[in-house]
Amino acid sequence: MSREALGEFEQMVLLAILHLGDGVYGVPIVDEIQRRTGRTVAPAAVYVTLRRLEQKGLLTSWMGDSTPERGGKSRRCVKVTVAGLESLRDSRKVLDSMWKGLDPKLRGAQ
Amino acid sequence: MTQTSMPPSVARSLLGHALPADVRESVRGDLDEVFQRDCRKYGLPGARRRYWRQTMSFTLHFVVERWRDRRRGGLMRIGLSWLDFKLGFRMLARYPMLTVVGGLAMAVAIAVGAGTFEVITRVTDPSLPLPGGDRIVALNYWHRAESGARPASPYDVLNWRERLRTVEDIGAFRLVQRNLIVGEQVGEPVDAAEISAAAFRVTRVPPLMGRVLVDEDEAPQSPAVVVVGNRLWKIRFGADPAVIGRVVRLGATQATVVGVMPEGFAFPVRQNLWTPLRVQELPQEPGRGPGLRVFGRLAPGIELPAARAELTAFGSQIAAQFPKQYENLQPRVLPYAESFLAIPQGFLVRAGIHSINAFGAVFLVVVCGNVALLMFARAATREREIVVRRALGAARSRIVMQLFAEALVLAAIAAVLGLAATDFALKWTLAALSTEAEGWPFWLEGGLSATTVTYSAWLTFLAAVVAGVVPALKITRTNMEAGLRQASAGAGGIRMGGIWTGVIVAQIAGTIFFTAVAYVVQRQAAGIASAKAAFPAEEYLAVRLEMDRDGLMEEKAGTVDESFLRRYEATARELEQRVAADARVAGVTLADVLPMMPSGGAVIELDDAGLRDSVTGRQLFVSTTAVDPDFFEVFQTPVLAGRGFASLDTGAGANTVVVNQLFVNQILTGRNAVGRRIRYLSKDSGAIKAPGPWFEIIGVVRDLVPNPEAPMSLDNPGKIVVYHTLGSNRTQSYPLYLATHLRSGAPASVLPALRRIAADISPGLRLSDVQRLDQGTSSDARAWNGFANFILLVSAIALVLSLAGIYAITSLTVSRRTREIAVRVALGAQVSHVVSIVFRGPMFQVAMGVAAGCLMMGALVEVSIRDSDVGVDTMTRHAALLLGYGTIMMGVCAVACVGPLLRVFRVEPTDVLRDDG
Repeated sequence: MSREALGEFEQMVLLAILHLGDGVYGVPIVDEIQRRTGRTVAPAAVYVTLRRLEQKGLLTSWMGDSTPERGGKSRRCVKVTVAGLESLRDSRKVLDSMWKGLDPKLRGAQ
Repeated sequence: MTQTSMPPSVARSLLGHALPADVRESVRGDLDEVFQRDCRKYGLPGARRRYWRQTMSFTLHFVVERWRDRRRGGLMRIGLSWLDFKLGFRMLARYPMLTVVGGLAMAVAIAVGAGTFEVITRVTDPSLPLPGGDRIVALNYWHRAESGARPASPYDVLNWRERLRTVEDIGAFRLVQRNLIVGEQVGEPVDAAEISAAAFRVTRVPPLMGRVLVDEDEAPQSPAVVVVGNRLWKIRFGADPAVIGRVVRLGATQATVVGVMPEGFAFPVRQNLWTPLRVQELPQEPGRGPGLRVFGRLAPGIELPAARAELTAFGSQIAAQFPKQYENLQPRVLPYAESFLAIPQGFLVRAGIHSINAFGAVFLVVVCGNVALLMFARAATREREIVVRRALGAARSRIVMQLFAEALVLAAIAAVLGLAATDFALKWTLAALSTEAEGWPFWLEGGLSATTVTYSAWLTFLAAVVAGVVPALKITRTNMEAGLRQASAGAGGIRMGGIWTGVIVAQIAGTIFFTAVAYVVQRQAAGIASAKAAFPAEEYLAVRLEMDRDGLMEEKAGTVDESFLRRYEATARELEQRVAADARVAGVTLADVLPMMPSGGAVIELDDAGLRDSVTGRQLFVSTTAVDPDFFEVFQTPVLAGRGFASLDTGAGANTVVVNQLFVNQILTGRNAVGRRIRYLSKDSGAIKAPGPWFEIIGVVRDLVPNPEAPMSLDNPGKIVVYHTLGSNRTQSYPLYLATHLRSGAPASVLPALRRIAADISPGLRLSDVQRLDQGTSSDARAWNGFANFILLVSAIALVLSLAGIYAITSLTVSRRTREIAVRVALGAQVSHVVSIVFRGPMFQVAMGVAAGCLMMGALVEVSIRDSDVGVDTMTRHAALLLGYGTIMMGVCAVACVGPLLRVFRVEPTDVLRDDG
């Protein structure tokens, strides 16, 4: 594996984007993560992560439409790149490999 | 969004600053969207609260992110990383000797550089620690013919106040000393200022209690008021919270306390008490009246050049109107603190003074050069690692930056220590050199300034470059292939270039020279401290007598008028008589200077050929003292030849003098003094003017302070003295000292009675500079000791550095040449021959350094004894001392080679060659 490993939160952000589809922006991404994880997330951390992922080339972004509700300011819409998808798959593979064979033990510990 | 449902504007503005430009619009838009949603869900107040929380969260996150970006990009851009600094700390722990020796040396070098810079800045660019202190200015005159400053007159103050537009709140002051009498306490003198109320507007410091002086206090016939300084309030008023409204006496005047200033306030110089200056009551004609120091504040929006232009134009008008009074006087306005400097303000002079900082930097470079030697020796032990890293692709710059980081860590720690020491030394020196009578202006006190700390950061960087980069460049200079071969063969010594040799030689020469200087200075201190008066000085109390000159215009002693002098002398005599009537007192006398005190001097000409012949004589330096006829009796000093003073020797026309035994021994070389004549030669700009009248020596007295064995005459209490009587035309009679000899008990026990008698005679009679006579030299001895200790410390560090450098280089040389030594011994070479090959280089450098140091010492001795009558015996003794000292230093330096030398003797050729195989 030659690509840089993704952190847990970076994976969450990328997965949330994939769930919501291309062209999503920051507010729904935060809501999606909170809904699926059941815990409160600092929106600022999401935005910092989005920016970092874009700098790594795992996301692309473009400026979308503005609305009166937003005071006339445009949205920054994002989309996962091919490199981002591959990084996600690699991270999944690593995790699966670590989890393999542990189910019986975990069942026993319950 | 409606106006009422807008997010908080301050929070939005904060976000605008905290967010990077590429995400600013979109993030603010998203937060606005969330805000609208929250308004529907939580209401406006709740939404605003949540918006603020988000603002703080975003600000924190993006600021941290920005810092991380800079760290990742910034340091790496110049080839440094945090790992280099971590390694630097580790190296400090791994080589403790280098850390201690090198760190201490760098600390001293940075301390000297920072201390020099701070002192020069305070002298040439003083700034006032007051609100807007850089806009407070002084106004005075510059006398073009005499090239000196002149104070303004009351006419000038009123004129400038009325007409100038570029300077506002113009006021004036004069410094006075007055007896402050609080309640039933005995009066004690305080440093006071008669000052305009404008002073408190200019300084913008509010009072701690009560009020400051106001313009109405300056009106003629207004009630007398005072404002008291914080320290004075605590000491004399016991920090009385009800001090406002208390009535005190200032000399002969009663005044009401109207205010207390906060701690630290001492404007205009170092005052503790302020009374109104009533300029209206002073002569108003141009050029008349007392000299006043004038101050003001630059008007808003006005800078100094504009103020100067206005004052110059104004001055030309006044000079045209009153040419006689203002001939040669050029009015000027300058920063307030600079007006107290005696240093000429020309650019070249200031540049010359600032160039002294260059010596501090040169000293630092020399010291760090030696530390570089130690760093080089340390880096040389890692030569193999460095060569291999380069072979694997590491850039030379990367390795140099790593070694620079290690040196910077050491230099930074040294800088912290050095600055702490400088701050302490500065405060201690200012306190030690300050007395109650002569303190420092308030703007000179305190520790290091921010500018000096910034300058020290530059010195630290320079130290790291010299100690880190220079040896790094040398060690990475070798050709890689040759370096790899050398590293694997374990062969070769250290080849030191000319610069390194020069550093070691200069270091050793400096060590020798300054150690010898420290010895001389220490002997001077010991000599001064050991000076023992020929009378029981611990039984004598000395007090300086000064008197208020109410109604008189001038404060300077040189211009006191005759009527005041007559009143003063009568007052002093009455005090003397009443003190003498006290049963505890064995004797009282008056003099302008007392034994054990510093005194003025003059050049005299001696009648060598006798009374009738014309004289040529030699020029000699003596101290002069004016005394009462009973002076020698009070100080229990017998007359050894001729007679002492009598009443016929007093008066303006008196031309008789008495000399001490030292005069006979050193000037007359033991010949008879009685009947000889002397006259004083005065100098004007270096040229000798026409000599004064002749004085006849009528007697010789025993030395009051025998000459201690001090190598220099500076601060030496044992002096050649010529005594005149008080009131003769040679002497000035203001101020005088009263010496009181007690029969028993501590001399200070008579002080309260002295003050009561003085207050009874005249409330304007001030007693100051109170001291026991045997303590007169203690501060001088302390200052010389401090100076000697400082030179010794610097010399000791230089010596340790030199020894460490020699040890490091010889040790490394032996390590790297172990195989060569083994081969030579195996082939039959004598060990002594091998030793000479290995050590001749370092010992040659040591010998050169010792020789250079001894030559410098010899030159100094030759200059110092050039004009003295020193015999061949003394010269031979000095030469022998020099030779012995040089030999001892050679031996000390050779000690540094003992360790490596023993390792040479322990080399077993068979073991070494077997290990190689």
